[in-house]
Amino acid sequence: MDLVKMERGAPIDIWDAFEGLRGEMDRALDALKVPDSAGILDLSVAPAVDVIETEEEFMVVADVPGLRKEDLEVTITGTLLSIKGEKREEKDSEKRRYLREENRPGSFRRTIDLPPRIDPERIAAELRDGILALRIAKREEAKTKTITVSPK
Amino acid sequence: MNARNEVRNRVVKVPACSVFEEGEVVVARLEMPGVPKEGLEIKVDGNELAINGAKREEKTEGRYLLRERRHDAYRKLFTLDDTIARDRIEASLENGVLTLRLHIKEAAKPRRIEVS
Repeated sequence: MDLVKMERGAPIDIWDAFEGLRGEMDRALDALKVPDSAGILDLSVAPAVDVIETEEEFMVVADVPGLRKEDLEVTITGTLLSIKGEKREEKDSEKRRYLREENRPGSFRRTIDLPPRIDPERIAAELRDGILALRIAKREEAKTKTITVSPK
Repeated sequence: MNARNEVRNRVVKVPACSVFEEGEVVVARLEMPGVPKEGLEIKVDGNELAINGAKREEKTEGRYLLRERRHDAYRKLFTLDDTIARDRIEASLENGVLTLRLHIKEAAKPRRIEVS
């Protein structure tokens, strides 16, 4: 530790330092907040997602086992794609005696910012064997074009 | 990139799984998204119940901007105790979730004895 000569007449308030630290911590915790979630456990059910770009389109593939079509909501706002899902509590589940529970009911929301080259008007969704596959077309001008050079 | 994919090892994942008792049936529920009925193999060997699921091949052309799903197959092993009837295991697959219903042997069920 350095030895600093204390200035006379300016007493150091050590609590100032703690005030600053508290502000830092508040900001760090705010950054962890997930919109539309009820608690930290919601994060664990957010599905794993792949985003693949091909020449013609973007594909977004998400694992959503156990979810039916009506449990899913896909929206697109500008380039922001949002997948919302709810794994419902099954009926008669209170009669069960769980020995192990790794797939609990709950809701999730996953938001993916897609590149600006997408055409949000042309999007197709398919659900098969617990996998949600979205195909989002590219805007015409964003597609790779081959220009043929014609001889003079 | 395709050549590399061909030699890539198969990545096997342990599926998320819940087990519960419902009356006299033990139900196991395994999350195996992407596995078709044909890709599923359920084997009982002595005390071991082995579940293998191969995912349907996914198109890999293109460039991954985000890749969180890296597995091609699922595998889960259970040890069965003596009370489970080996010949009465029912399986159903729906929306990527495998449900196994394991019945308890008649001899292992609680029996009520009438007092005369």
